[in-house]
Amino acid sequence: MAEQPIDEWFMHDVLPLEPMLTRFLQRNWRNEAEIADLRQESYARVYEAAQRERPLQVKPFLFQIARNLMIDRLRKQSVVSLETMADFDWLNVSDDKPSSEAYVAARQELRLLQAALDDLPPRCRQVVLMRKIEGLSQKEVARQMGVTTETVENQVAKGMRLLAQALGGRRGAVTAEARRYNFFKKPRDVR
Amino acid sequence: MSAEETEQLAAQWLAREDRGLSAEEALALEAWLAQATLNRVAWLRLKAGWTRAERLAALRGAAPAPEVRKGLRSRLLLAIAACLALMVGGGALLAWKLAAKEQVFATGVGGMQAVRLADGSRMELNTNTRVHADVTAARRTVTLESGEAYFDVVHDARHPFTVYAGNRRITDLGTKFSVYRNADDVRVLVREGRVRVDILDKPEVDAPVVAEAGHAVIAKGGETLVMAKPDIANDLSWRSGMLVFSQQPLGEAAEQFNRYNSRKIVVEGEARKIRIGGSFKADNVDVFVLLLHQGFGLSVNDQGKRITVSR
Repeated sequence: MAEQPIDEWFMHDVLPLEPMLTRFLQRNWRNEAEIADLRQESYARVYEAAQRERPLQVKPFLFQIARNLMIDRLRKQSVVSLETMADFDWLNVSDDKPSSEAYVAARQELRLLQAALDDLPPRCRQVVLMRKIEGLSQKEVARQMGVTTETVENQVAKGMRLLAQALGGRRGAVTAEARRYNFFKKPRDVR
Repeated sequence: MSAEETEQLAAQWLAREDRGLSAEEALALEAWLAQATLNRVAWLRLKAGWTRAERLAALRGAAPAPEVRKGLRSRLLLAIAACLALMVGGGALLAWKLAAKEQVFATGVGGMQAVRLADGSRMELNTNTRVHADVTAARRTVTLESGEAYFDVVHDARHPFTVYAGNRRITDLGTKFSVYRNADDVRVLVREGRVRVDILDKPEVDAPVVAEAGHAVIAKGGETLVMAKPDIANDLSWRSGMLVFSQQPLGEAAEQFNRYNSRKIVVEGEARKIRIGGSFKADNVDVFVLLLHQGFGLSVNDQGKRITVSR
């Protein structure tokens, strides 16, 4: 039996686990600013491993890789606070929630997408709406809105990132995180 | 390279793909993807989300063109669409939900305006303010272009009330609050309840702050400060046309007056540091400078459009 191309496999079998992966990382990693790095690094490791051999069970494999990555990083830190270690959710690793959660039913999917769409800033939302619902080309969107094609392209790029973020389950996590830290977050390094 | 930077590049590539790549660009993209697995997974992740959004096309036909401010014709179409939606009900409700129904409210210097929005929430615009409101039962969005506005929100957890100001999104968590914006300088004052403030243009930072009653959020660029603000009532006194100061430097007090009046007060030198308290009508510059003259012995030089105050 011919294997699915790896990109397809990655999109269908790995990426839908993102809400779970994000929650897992957030539970175990204090520094919120590094979550995205950890996630991307986990993905890259999974992808590279799968190029050699596809794992039989994707979820435990992904979580194992994420866990190893966090342990690697903790080891590299010269000082590891006891608190960090105690916080680490060592036991609750391979099984998060029933995996049915990852594959949302079509109706739910539409609702999820709509919520994500509603959350976009107004201008960005309009561009995505015209592009995806009306099915207009970027050029046509630019003409109708009376803006440059560069503006539309930028808004599409922005929309893609915000949609991926919303679909990746960062929204719900956000409120919990905000509650945990209440007011203060460390300002992020400015490049 | 951070995940955020990689994601930014991936988004740029996909946006270009979305408009159509030239042969040259296609080669460059191939090279970029082959360069690092991190590039490829970032690209696949965004691509998967964008492909999933194809499903939104299922709503096609249900939604009228989401054109805003396109004059009478589209408004008429919108009205017709809305009527149809009401008649057909059910699935057609989406049409209403997706229809952008944007209203623009603005005040000039010294102006003030109170607005009752479609969802029952109240909005009060301060001087020299411009907002777009897109508020229906299903969607509640206000964009503050410039100036200051106070919101008394009818809470509905299922349809959060959001205010966009610069690169921030302020989401009501059951509350009364005001938002001030001057270019990328955004300030939020929470009088009751709580609000959440997110950064928009750095989705990977995604470090929202939640501020409770009696707190101010001061945001600039990527930085956000939350502080206790015991004198919030003073800061919101503009709602009754008053400016209330409690031991503020005269320079700052003058700037407050200048927001409301076309005749500007210029305080020079040492006099800027004098601390003053009291409550004044925002539009009564003359009485204010008269009191400065009588109370502090400052000299006042009224040149019509410009009033200079100095020791």
